[in-house]
Parts: sequence; C-alpha cells; structure tokens
Amino acid sequence: MTDLSATVGAVWKQESARIVAGLLRLVHDVGLAEELAQDALVAALEQWPASGIPDNPGAWLTTTAKRRAVDHIRRSRTQDRLAPDLARLPEPTEDDVLRLMFTSCHPVLPTEARLALTLRVVAGLSPAEIARAFLVGEQVIAHRIAGAKRTLAEANVAYEPSAQLSSVLEVVYLIFNEGYAATSGADLIRADLCLEALRLGRMLAVLAPGEAEVHGLVALMEIQQSRSAARTGPSGEPIPLHEQNRGRWDQLLIRRGFAAMLRAREAGGPTGPYVLQAAIAVCHTAEETDWVRISTLYQALERLLPTPVVRLNRAVAVAFAYGPRAGLDLLDELRADPQMAAYHLLPGVRGDLLIRLGRPIEARRELERAATLARNTAERDFLLRRAAALDVPEEHGRLLGPAVAEFLAPLRPATARAYGQTLNRITHLAGDRTPLAGLTAARLAEIFTLSWPDVAPRTWNRHVAAIRSFAGWSGEPSLAADLQPRPVPAGIADRSPPPETDAPPALRERVLWILLRESAAKAGAVLALNVEDLDLDDRSARGATIVWRSGTAGLLPELIAGRTRGPLFLSDRRPGPGRPPAPADLCPETGRRRLSYERAAYLCKRATGHTLGRLRQA
Amino acid sequence: MRYLMMQKAGGAEPDAKLYADMAAFVEELTASGVLLATGGLDPAGFRMTSAGDEITVTDGPFTEAKEAIGGFALIEVRSKEEAIELGRRFRKIVGDGESMIHQVYGP
Repeated sequence: MTDLSATVGAVWKQESARIVAGLLRLVHDVGLAEELAQDALVAALEQWPASGIPDNPGAWLTTTAKRRAVDHIRRSRTQDRLAPDLARLPEPTEDDVLRLMFTSCHPVLPTEARLALTLRVVAGLSPAEIARAFLVGEQVIAHRIAGAKRTLAEANVAYEPSAQLSSVLEVVYLIFNEGYAATSGADLIRADLCLEALRLGRMLAVLAPGEAEVHGLVALMEIQQSRSAARTGPSGEPIPLHEQNRGRWDQLLIRRGFAAMLRAREAGGPTGPYVLQAAIAVCHTAEETDWVRISTLYQALERLLPTPVVRLNRAVAVAFAYGPRAGLDLLDELRADPQMAAYHLLPGVRGDLLIRLGRPIEARRELERAATLARNTAERDFLLRRAAALDVPEEHGRLLGPAVAEFLAPLRPATARAYGQTLNRITHLAGDRTPLAGLTAARLAEIFTLSWPDVAPRTWNRHVAAIRSFAGWSGEPSLAADLQPRPVPAGIADRSPPPETDAPPALRERVLWILLRESAAKAGAVLALNVEDLDLDDRSARGATIVWRSGTAGLLPELIAGRTRGPLFLSDRRPGPGRPPAPADLCPETGRRRLSYERAAYLCKRATGHTLGRLRQA
Repeated sequence: MRYLMMQKAGGAEPDAKLYADMAAFVEELTASGVLLATGGLDPAGFRMTSAGDEITVTDGPFTEAKEAIGGFALIEVRSKEEAIELGRRFRKIVGDGESMIHQVYGP
C-alpha cells in the first residue's frame, strides 16, 4: 500500500495548475486562489483516509476548491452581489491555465519571485521542494512567494494580465537552466527542475499552439535535455558537445525536439531567439556538424540577442566554419567588453583556438587564466589538465602572480594593502601564471579600462601609481607606458601636502619643461633619460630620437652637476629602506631614484596648471 | 523518472465510449509531456532463445490470449505515486484486467 498523503500529493501535482487557474477566474487574486486550493488539499488529507480515494480524485479536488471559493465570495459580497451558482460554474479551461502562467510570470515581479511563484502555483511544488531546488532556506522561498502575491495584488494584476508571452518563456527557460547548471549526483533535485521546465513548456505549447517561439523553446529544452546523461564525465567534469558519446543521447527526446521544431515552422511568423537557438541545437545533433549554417544562425541570433555569451558562441562557430584565425578576431573584439572581463570561457575558448593555430605557449597561458577565473572545481581542474597536457617548455622568467606577491611582501601593511587592491585585480584578470614578459602595455591598459571605467581621477591615479611602481620594480617599466594619470581637479589637488624641498626643484623642473617643449618628446621617454645617454655637443640623446635646442643646452650642465651616469632627473628624496628601486632607476652617485612620472606630472600641474603633455605641444 | 506500463490483452470488448475516453486520455497526457510513447502489440509475437552459439526463433502465440501483452505506454512522472495515479485512471477507462508497471532506468 502506498502512503495516502503521497497519493494526494501526486494528484495535487497533476491537477493543481488547473485548480488554481479555475479559482483565479472566480476570485481574481492569485494569493487567495492558491489558499483556497490549499484548503481543498487539506480537506482531501482529512477525508480520504475515512472515505477512501474518490474515483476521480482530480475532479474531487476541483469541486471542493470551487465550493470553498463560492463560500468565500458569499461571505464577502453579501450585500452587493449574488454569489455565483456553483452548479453553473464552468470547468477550468486551458485559457485559465494560460492566464495563471501569465500572472505568475508577470514582469512586475522580480525574476526570483517569478520563478518561485510559477513553480508553486503552476507546477504545484511545495515551498520546501522549491527551496531544495534553489539551495536556499524554505523561509526564503515562503517570503518570496508571499511577496510576489502581495506585489501582484498591489499592482492589481489578477486576471487580465498584460504580461508578454516572452516573459513566460523567459521564466520557463530560467527554471530549465537552473536545473541544467546542476550536474553532480548531489544535485539531482536541482536537475529535476529541467523536467519541471519541460513540463511547463509542453503545457504552454498546448495552451498557445500558434506561437512559434513556444515550440522553439520546447524544442530547445527537449534537445538539450536529451544530452543530460552524456554531458558530464564520471567525476562531474563537463564533456564538450562534439566529444560526447552520442549513444547516451536520449533519442526519444531528440525526436520530440524535432517534432516541436516542425510545429514552430508551421506556426510561422518572424524567427525569434528560441527558434534560432533550437535550430542551432538541431544542427548539433547531426553526425556531421554544419558549422557554416550554425555560424549563420548565431549571426542572426546576435542581432536579436547581442549578449556576450551569444557573441562568444558565434566566435566558436565561426572558428569551426572559417578557421581559428577568424574566430580569434571576433574574440578580440569581445575582450574589451566589461561583462566578459571575468568570464572564464573567453580565455578558455581563446586557448582552444590558439592550440589549433599552433601557438601552444599562448594557449597554455590562456587556459591557465581561464582556470583562475572558473568558479567550479571540476571545470578548473579540467582546464588545468588541458593546459598541462600541452607540450611546451616551462615558462622562463618571472610569473605575474609570484612577482606581485614578492613585490608586496616587503611593503608596509597599509601600502601593501593599497597596492594589493590594484595588483591583485590585475593578476586575477591577466592570470597569475602569465609571465611578466608576456604581458604587454596594451593589455594592461585594457584591463585598467575594464576594471576601473568610471573612477574618480584620484582613484585612477592611485591604481596607475601602483602599477608603475610595480613595473619599475620588476624591471619592465614600459608595462605601464600606456597608462596616463588623469588630471585631478585643482580644488582637491591643493589639499595635498607641499613638496619636500631638500633639493631646489626649480632647476630640475625648468629643465624638464623646456626639454619637453623643445624636443616634443614624450614625458615618459624624457624621464627615462640617463646622463650617459646625452650627447651635449650634438644636443641630442638616444640616436637623435630626442633633440633639444639652446634653452635646454644652457641649463643641462647645471642639472648634471658633474654626474657621469644614472637617471638625468632625480627625485628629491632617497628611497625608503622597504622600497628598493630597480637598479636602472637608482643614481649610483647620489643614491636617489629616478623622478617618477606621477611626481613630475603633479609638480607640473601644480606649478603651471598644465599636464606634461600640454607642455610638449606648447 | 520513467515507467513502462504494459497492459495484458483481454477485458471488455472496446466500444465507442472506450475509444473516445482513451483518445482524450492519450491526448491529455501527450500534451502535458507525460506520455512519451505508446502503442499496441501483436499478442502473438515470436520468441528468441540463445544457448551457447545457438539462436532459436519460435513463433507465438505462447500463452492464453488474456495473458499476452496487448499494449504499452512509456510515461515520465515525478514519483511512483504519480505513475500509480495515472495507472488508476487508465484502468478506470479500460475496465477489468491487469497492468504491469516497471521503472525504466537509463536512457
């Protein structure tokens, strides 16, 4: 004998959508409709043990619930209106169920609330079941559902909802993906969400048979679900589609998907995003994948849905159709998108394409970077294994992550914390096993723009100062070449402490500014000059890439002051013990370090109100 | 989870009402995605046995007509209770007789 409450529960899950939908038509309030339906469920649990399970349990629940609704209406409307006659109430129709779905997926609700309410009132799951599926506490779900009902009542969304069908489709597909994202054995309850979503989608296809997108969504889910057994390996690692064992694909679901696609085509109308995604999924079931067709479909999808993920997938398809070079070009456009900055699949796919282009060294860096960004352990291990499997020599030279750690270690805690904010972010995005030599100024500038797009100039300059300091220390000062400090509004700049003046700055600054104006060279290049680079007679330096005239020539001997080597422009102070500069930036004769770009820019701004760049063009 | 329901042949001679009820039931379950596949079976069939390298094919029928499997349905449900509930509705339509229901593992 099976447990009676389990039987009641089974009947409930099969009938609840129709019952609640029928009540919604009577009472025009989802919350009330669901409460009345619950009353009927409680009545069943009380009466069936004594009376036995009725011949038609679904009909019994429907009638009982309707009776409760009529009672309720009688009580609340004694004066103004007669209650409806129970016997003449029509049975719940398919339209009622569709309206219920529109209501529970109404855009007035936050996404999470839509998912919870739909699973509750349409799929008939209990709050405990929903909570297990979303890995949150039951109270959280109960609150979410109660809040959703309240919002709907306040917004006066009850029976004639204005929701778009697309909102319902979105909710169903979100439920599906929530389940699809869960793969391991412990997540089986979550994986059941896929089946709930399929059920909701199939229901929707009956309720709105003329809508191509509904059939498209069903097709997409059926085909994706057909691969559920094949898409992960024994230890939960993802198996790429083209490496899956096709024998484990569920042919029955594939056929159902194809049938849904045919219905979508019959329904006609403009091709929407779900039909396109389903068409792509259909292409992937073929023995020989037609990548040209898939990349065309992705191109169409990108026009409707230009999300980073769609664009990434399109790049993959293009790489298969037209070669890895073409795919890589599309990916490079994506790298500048802030949404993609921390998305592990971008470097993962780049790594794949670089392997196919025969560039294993770069490929390994990208795969390792992808592993740093991956959130899921199985995926991280998988990426690291792939990286390790590449036959490339060990990286020479220092790697970014260890170098940053080494750089921060001797700093005072406050400084280390401030610099660490900048450098750890960069390490995270660039990959901590990227060799310093493999990092370029352009890539660093890209990461800066992605990470701190709208910060105040002072904050930006703090980050720039951190990376310059690190770059100088590491012996790769050119790394920060593409990053310029931004002018700080004067009112704020005035609050900075006055400069230390243990050496007369006036001469140094004068030489610098005149030299910039006369040579029109970049400030970074001028600051990088060493005494030994100068050809005083020829008024030039570095093979005449920097040339000056009489103004500079007259002042230079005074600035050099008998030095024979080391940085031309020196800072005012000697470096602190904790911060040894790179040897090239240290004057062997005075023990001072090279004047930094930030300091020079600050002094110039303070004295003249102009940036160094302005001087150069003056 | 999936269940395979197999119906033994026999029972009442089908009439117009049974056909109509059954068609509505099948339509409902197909629409809701519960019924994945269904079909009637030739009660005779043939039997295949192997012993060592030897394969023997024997044509049916083998049992009394009312013991033979007459049809099957593959359903997808959340629980055994749901399978029982659907079985109950099916038996209500077809009248006296017997079904065998097995959970299906796989695909």
